[in-house]
Amino acid sequence: MLLVTITGALGCVARFLMEYAVRRHHPTQRPWATVAANAIGSGIAGWAAYRLVSFGDQQMRTIILTGFCGGLTTFSSAIAIPALLQREHHWGYAASLVVTTPLLCGGAFVLGMSLAH
Amino acid sequence: MSPNNILSPRQFALAIIAVTSGGAVGTLLRDVLLRLQSDPIPRAVATYTNVPAYGSWTGQIPWVLLVINFIGVYCATTLLRTAIRRRDPNDPTRLLVITGFFGGFTSYSGLFVALAAIWHLSIGGSLFVAAGALGSGIFAGWLGLGRRQHS
Repeated sequence: MLLVTITGALGCVARFLMEYAVRRHHPTQRPWATVAANAIGSGIAGWAAYRLVSFGDQQMRTIILTGFCGGLTTFSSAIAIPALLQREHHWGYAASLVVTTPLLCGGAFVLGMSLAH
Repeated sequence: MSPNNILSPRQFALAIIAVTSGGAVGTLLRDVLLRLQSDPIPRAVATYTNVPAYGSWTGQIPWVLLVINFIGVYCATTLLRTAIRRRDPNDPTRLLVITGFFGGFTSYSGLFVALAAIWHLSIGGSLFVAAGALGSGIFAGWLGLGRRQHS
């Protein structure tokens, strides 16, 4: 549980660094960094879910899936930011974020899954 | 307040501490809550390894994670709409609560792991749960926005 917590925090820091790097140069494009973090986290999850399947891998599986990937990805910001954008009448931007996030995450998950085999 | 897009070394260190602290607590809470659901990983492993999984696909629905994500979206939207709306995106409080805690508490990747497990049992069931997860999240965001204020 301690390792899950630590790796989860590391995942959150990695996501923040991606968002910060984008915000420094393109402040209005910051939500796309969250989309990228979600896609990368889903890709790693796809790999780990299908690679770490033996009984001895269960602890590492939990550390990577629940910990690091869970911290790197976020559902709250993926929905809350578009919700606020549509409230400010940025309908197209909000819709593109809501639609592309699951598609990219799904694609990345399948890619990770195929790399695991 | 104009956004502070470039942080000083001290501000950057404070930001990392805030995200780490919030993320650790959020991840820990999610881990504890996910353990409430009856033994999901062995069933998932059985699915991935082509060992016949027991039960129907409905037994694989990640109810706990769906509730976690619903609560996370609702709370994050409400806070961003009201309490910390006008704060700088790099404000330590916002990083602690939104980027750290709720970012660590909710999970997009966990959803896909669960959807993959369901996919092996029922493709239609997996698509149904995916639509439900996204729909419930959007509904939580709508609830979090609350009543529109006329200004």
